Amino acid sequence: MKAVLVDIARCMGCYNCERVCFFQHESRLAEPLSRIFVHVDMDRRRIFAATCLQCETAWCMRACPVQALTRDPVTQAVVVDSARCVGCGMCVLACPFGYMQLAPQPRRAVKCDLCGGSPKCVDACMAGALFVGDLNQLAEIKRRRAIPHIGVRAVLRPEDS
Amino acid sequence: MTRAAIPIQNGLIRTLCRMCDTRCSIAVRIKNGYMVDILPAGGNPVNNGRMCPRAGAALDMFYHPDRVLKPLKKQPDGSWLPIDREQALDEIAARIEAIKRRFGARALGVWKGEAVGFWQQEEYARRFIQACGSPNYFSNDSACFNGRYLGHYLVTGFWNPFPDFTHAKLIMLFGTNPPVCHPPFMADFADAKARGASLVVVDPRLNPIACHADIFAQPIPGTDGALAWGLIRIIIQRCAYNIEFVEKYTVGFDRIAAYAQRFTPEYVESQTGIYADVLVAMAELIINNRPDVGLYMGAGLEHNENGVNNIRALVILSCLCGALDLACGLAWPEPMPRRRLSPTRMLSGGIGSKRFPVLHEISRECHSMTAMDNMLGRDDPPLKAIIMTGANPAVTHPNLEKTKKALAALDLLVVNDLFVTPTAQLAHYVLPAASFLERSEIHVNTRFQRVYLTTQIAKIPGVETDYCMWRDLACRLGFGDAWFPWTEERAVNRYILAPSGITINQLQRHPEGICYQPQRFQKFLTQPLPTPSGKVELASAYLKQLGLDEIPQYRPPYHLRRSRADYPFLLTTGARKTLFYHSRHQNIARFRKVHPRAEVEIHPDDAARLGIVQGQSVRIVSEVGALVVDAKIVHRAELRPGVIEMYHGWQDWPINQVTLDYINDPISGFPLLKAVPVRIETAWE
Repeated sequence: MKAVLVDIARCMGCYNCERVCFFQHESRLAEPLSRIFVHVDMDRRRIFAATCLQCETAWCMRACPVQALTRDPVTQAVVVDSARCVGCGMCVLACPFGYMQLAPQPRRAVKCDLCGGSPKCVDACMAGALFVGDLNQLAEIKRRRAIPHIGVRAVLRPEDS
Repeated sequence: MTRAAIPIQNGLIRTLCRMCDTRCSIAVRIKNGYMVDILPAGGNPVNNGRMCPRAGAALDMFYHPDRVLKPLKKQPDGSWLPIDREQALDEIAARIEAIKRRFGARALGVWKGEAVGFWQQEEYARRFIQACGSPNYFSNDSACFNGRYLGHYLVTGFWNPFPDFTHAKLIMLFGTNPPVCHPPFMADFADAKARGASLVVVDPRLNPIACHADIFAQPIPGTDGALAWGLIRIIIQRCAYNIEFVEKYTVGFDRIAAYAQRFTPEYVESQTGIYADVLVAMAELIINNRPDVGLYMGAGLEHNENGVNNIRALVILSCLCGALDLACGLAWPEPMPRRRLSPTRMLSGGIGSKRFPVLHEISRECHSMTAMDNMLGRDDPPLKAIIMTGANPAVTHPNLEKTKKALAALDLLVVNDLFVTPTAQLAHYVLPAASFLERSEIHVNTRFQRVYLTTQIAKIPGVETDYCMWRDLACRLGFGDAWFPWTEERAVNRYILAPSGITINQLQRHPEGICYQPQRFQKFLTQPLPTPSGKVELASAYLKQLGLDEIPQYRPPYHLRRSRADYPFLLTTGARKTLFYHSRHQNIARFRKVHPRAEVEIHPDDAARLGIVQGQSVRIVSEVGALVVDAKIVHRAELRPGVIEMYHGWQDWPINQVTLDYINDPISGFPLLKAVPVRIETAWE
């Protein structure tokens, strides 16, 4: 399954992805609502960003009582049929990651739909932290990054253990 | 609807974005004669096929219902009367002539801003005022950019563009937030980090980029010079510099070595608030990673009364590290062979040239803060008429009350802009400006040694380019043929490009830009640097002869020298917002949903002490003015207690009402915008 994935080591916390997502999908709302999420943790000085993984076994889809969630035949993204959605929120409860949300007025589920195949957030990620791919591609990026450090940190620092 | 795109056929047309200064490649999608979408375009190393949300809003700007489409003339009751372009230019020219006859040519001035164009736009304005017989060229650069330009120029003779951070082993960022102000840098930082580079961030405000930093240091605003000297001292003390380089390619080393002595880590800590051991750790990072040190400074340093010296000290630090003219360090840009439009020497004796001779001689600019007195009739010569293009000093200039009073006192103020800005509201005439989508001009990016030609994609009937405005005014004033002989901007482009050997046709075929000259490095080994001595000027004889600091001495900032109980807080202004560009883009509705209101950032301890709750209105008061704004209590790590921060470009909440125009850097004339002593009031009349 392809999804918008985040190489978190590259994210600089600029929030551009959140903004273009809001502009693309929900710009009529009074308050910014995005389908990709950036969080800067100032206590731990960590940046976190993520969006829907378009799970192969999508719990949101299974939980939906009105079959408003379907798999897009072209992009394979899980997409919301706004006309069918009754805004019950079952999908929000079912998603283990919190990537499913409800938009107000009319109340309906919203989630990353891959912008029909060419996600705006990826275009807007000037850091190159976002890409469309499957999880194994992310795993490979992480492995490649680890290579120069293998052996260097063989001994755990006390705070790591 | 008159605002159609020129080509009727559907498709994608490439050009460069000019929603900020970065100039990324974009493609505009045309459908049924209208521009319907903006997409990022590849092939240009500046943005590598990506673009930020600002670019996407270019169409919101172009089709904005508030755009000025016809010249406006101010009526006695303050309302606007749309008039014909010919009539507007005739009347403006007649008034310029009358002012020139009565007060002399020096009563005229031009003022360039950033809202419309770039280098070419500046050159037209310079050319026009020279032709008028006046030296009075003003620009936004007098309060942004020139400080850094001079700081670099006085040491190395060139302006350092952007280092290639990708190959740096140590990246040091001073007073800048690149993810927001230079979005393409993010990819470079991420690449450098992946290669194992270290990152040092020095900023009074903790931005998310500091999450990646090995060292984040939060100095007391305005004290960067002490930090720079502290680092220089350790590097000299440990002999961690190239002795041969210093002997052969620098002047004044003994002077700086002696001066650096007093900047012990303890003294630096007392000035900057940065712990002594952090300073030492920072110096060790430099020593271990030299010469591959990419040191980059933002606007944070220059808006202090010792700004240029602080910048000079950091440039010297870069040179001592051995980073001079390395790709990842202080690269000496390859100049683009092009014809200038502006005269190489401006007329002497411009406004402020006695107070700030360096600004006048090297930056070829008059001092806009001094000019306010000339406009108000408090100084000679009187300044009676100003033509402004894309500038908005009624928001972005310090001490707004005085600025607005001065602009309102002019006999003639003409503003050429896309919108009726707060500055345009003070004007006698507003001329409709062409946006970047409506003009074709040459752009040069020295970081990638590239030259580009932008594409004119659209045309609004009656809206002309800056070039046409200057040319048509010049023709009416009798110097059109001599100074603006080209019929249109396309012909100007050909004239500019001629020495490069690159043709307009080639540029049209390569909208992603053409490399005009591959970058060569370490050129100082074979050719003298463009300084008076031909070497790195650790000490400047030029400045000494003007009675200024020969070496970039550190002077404690205003707030430390003259601490006052009635202004216990330090206001720093100008941390950028991703969606705005100075005072631009605030009228784009969806941007306002993200940044709906101005906020002043305050430390939680200060807020608690003053009983301020999140979102409460507070009043910021300085020596010159006051502003009521909402308080935003930030994370305790984001600011030092006692320091507050606010964005500088808000039209509805202009913080420049409280910034000071009379505390200036003696070299650049820059105003104090980053460490303004203020108090916070929670109750007021």
